[in-house]
Amino acid sequence: MAEPIVKVRNLTKSFGDLLVLDDVSFDVQKGEFLCIVGPTGCGKTTFLNSLTKLYNIDSGSITINGKDIDLRQNNIAYIFQEYSAMEWLTVEQNIMYGLKIKHVDKDIIRQRVENVMEIVGLTKYRNFYPRQLSASMLQRVVIARAFAVEPELLLMDEPYGQLDLQLKYHLEDELIKLWQKTGTTVIFITHNIEEAVYLSDRILVLTNKPTKIKKSIPNNLPRPRKISDPEFVKLRNEVTDLIKWW
Amino acid sequence: MKKSSIKQKAGTILLPAVGFVAILVIWWLLVSFTRIGLLLPTPLEVLKRFIYFLGNPIGKAFTLPMHLLISLRRVLTGFCIASVAGIIVGISMGRFKPIEAIVRPIFELVRPIPGVAWIPLAIVWFGIGETAKTFIIFMGGFVNIVVNTYAGARHVDERLMGVAYMLGASKIQAFFRVVLPSCVPYIFAGMQVGLSTCWMAVLAAEMVSSFEGVGWVIIAGQDINDMAQIFVGIIAIAVMGLLLAAFMRFMERILCRWRERGA
Amino acid sequence: MSRKAVIECKHVSKTFYTLSGDHLVVDDLNFTVYENEFVVLFGPGQCGKTTVLNLITGLELPTKGEIIVAGEKVTGPSPKRGMVYQTTNLFMWYNVMKNVEFGPSVRGISKKERRKKAQHYIDLVGLTGFEKHYPVQLSGGMQQRVGIARAYCNEPDIICMDEPFGHLDAQTRYLMEKEVERISSQEKRTVVFVTNNVEEAIYLADRIILLRNLPTSVKKEYTVDLPRPRNYVSPEFLALREEITRDMDPTL
Repeated sequence: MAEPIVKVRNLTKSFGDLLVLDDVSFDVQKGEFLCIVGPTGCGKTTFLNSLTKLYNIDSGSITINGKDIDLRQNNIAYIFQEYSAMEWLTVEQNIMYGLKIKHVDKDIIRQRVENVMEIVGLTKYRNFYPRQLSASMLQRVVIARAFAVEPELLLMDEPYGQLDLQLKYHLEDELIKLWQKTGTTVIFITHNIEEAVYLSDRILVLTNKPTKIKKSIPNNLPRPRKISDPEFVKLRNEVTDLIKWW
Repeated sequence: MKKSSIKQKAGTILLPAVGFVAILVIWWLLVSFTRIGLLLPTPLEVLKRFIYFLGNPIGKAFTLPMHLLISLRRVLTGFCIASVAGIIVGISMGRFKPIEAIVRPIFELVRPIPGVAWIPLAIVWFGIGETAKTFIIFMGGFVNIVVNTYAGARHVDERLMGVAYMLGASKIQAFFRVVLPSCVPYIFAGMQVGLSTCWMAVLAAEMVSSFEGVGWVIIAGQDINDMAQIFVGIIAIAVMGLLLAAFMRFMERILCRWRERGA
Repeated sequence: MSRKAVIECKHVSKTFYTLSGDHLVVDDLNFTVYENEFVVLFGPGQCGKTTVLNLITGLELPTKGEIIVAGEKVTGPSPKRGMVYQTTNLFMWYNVMKNVEFGPSVRGISKKERRKKAQHYIDLVGLTGFEKHYPVQLSGGMQQRVGIARAYCNEPDIICMDEPFGHLDAQTRYLMEKEVERISSQEKRTVVFVTNNVEEAIYLADRIILLRNLPTSVKKEYTVDLPRPRNYVSPEFLALREEITRDMDPTL
């Protein structure tokens, strides 16, 4: 197997006396779609913020391509629950924004922006301002923007939390399309088990606080996946049994 | 964990103390080694005088605590009237459109006038007795309380009003159970600012026309060129202001307990 | 066996007149809800579901047609029609007990009687021991339980629930769905539940009314007779889910 792109080793973090992350280690392969699920209140946000070094970790290491993670050096993109498109920029300008900051060549910018807008169906809306868009369109802008910078690693934190299910699957299909075309490495954190089974190459199941890795489950179901497929249901049940508290 | 709690303590106690000590040292150095000493007593002199005045009269009859109590009584009288009137005006402006339309323009006109600007008018209207002082103090606090209460009354969550009506509440019940409680935090913010402006207004009022109170202590100190007495007055004002603010915060904690997350 | 109709929605239309023009939001909506039935109004995104609930509870009045609840025409809000909201809408300055007894209290029911009643519903929703807590001290799921108890405690003819779990995470949502099922089996009521989550709809409903996208009207009805408690991943459940998803109007 190829050398993993992301290596997390013995990650530990506590707030005061409260241990929240307990010796977490895992790898992510290049181009992999990794979903992380855990029970409600499992310290998902701390986990994410430690991964991105928003919090100082107590011990352990996170490396990307063999080097310590560095937010200035590494090209990492995030998509969080709150859509944060810049109100004063058009759809196209929003998607270009990250690339311009990184001083990418103009022709490449144009080509990449066209490409991602095409995939998520935003070409028609290129000159619209965020205010003029529905929630789902806005979410597409945010996702397109993240993919346009061709990040080494894309982190997603329940980006579809408040959308309705049908729409969610529609957007997730688009996400998969983008991911397949760009070969981006994705870490996707969610509470929704079905979503994790639908999207992932592999599922990392977390325990309750202090957070540890309970199990790593490979997910080789053929794509496109079908939620009523018995194999799908079997995997969903397996993950549910590991987490279920309700 | 120990490290972080030490850090916290440093932030809340140690560093402010460093600031105070630094000011005292600079003050003392300036007085001792420069010509400013002619204009300024040393910190120690002020402290000695402060303690002396606690038991001995300043001027004719009153000790320092008595002067403070006299000022405090004036402030509380004016402040209480200002609070009651301010809350009534603020809420009626916020909840009743016609009243808002009539009162608001007048209020906007009065609002930018600082409390001290009323002093001459108050003296002409009410003479130099207690009424004039109460009026000045009232004007000092009233504006702030109205502004905040009005904001609170306008920000009542209309959905919650709907909830109350759907559960069967009458208009009066909705007023006392929804409008009033949701205004309380705003009213308190207004009263906090109002109390400190009232406290400022009393000093102005007493400096102009009075024979007792902390404002008079300062003016009297100026008349007899007694720097230490002026400083005693200033420090007494500061300490009393702090105590009043702390009292208001304490009251807010009790009345707005529902806003605190901690169990 | 003829069932007693509790809600009758007859040719209801609603137009909002605004400066930017007239918006037809509900167009000739017809449905009936029977006594003690759990009906889910299900539809895509912003399809005017909340407007339908506002019409039933009387917060809005129809432009055309009429709504009859328990034999009376709806002409305004009334304590006979209870509501559970998405954004909980609790009185933040009252503790759990005072929130739950708000309805009986404003209707002048004696303290002893309303306390007893409120305690019953607090126990029912599983908040025993939290009577003195203020809403800010409770989690999202627990706040929603208070909202449910408050609606039940007023003993209305019908209870409307407007996407009550929309803000909760997927797992807490499963828990609350289980709780709502338990509560409504213990205390039979006529419930109209609005959601855009198809899993939630099938898990809870006796009957699902699928609504069209704007302007809203009834597209199709499904009687759900799967045995309770339902299994989210049983083949029948998933088959119904796929059927409903197929029938839904697409949204952007």
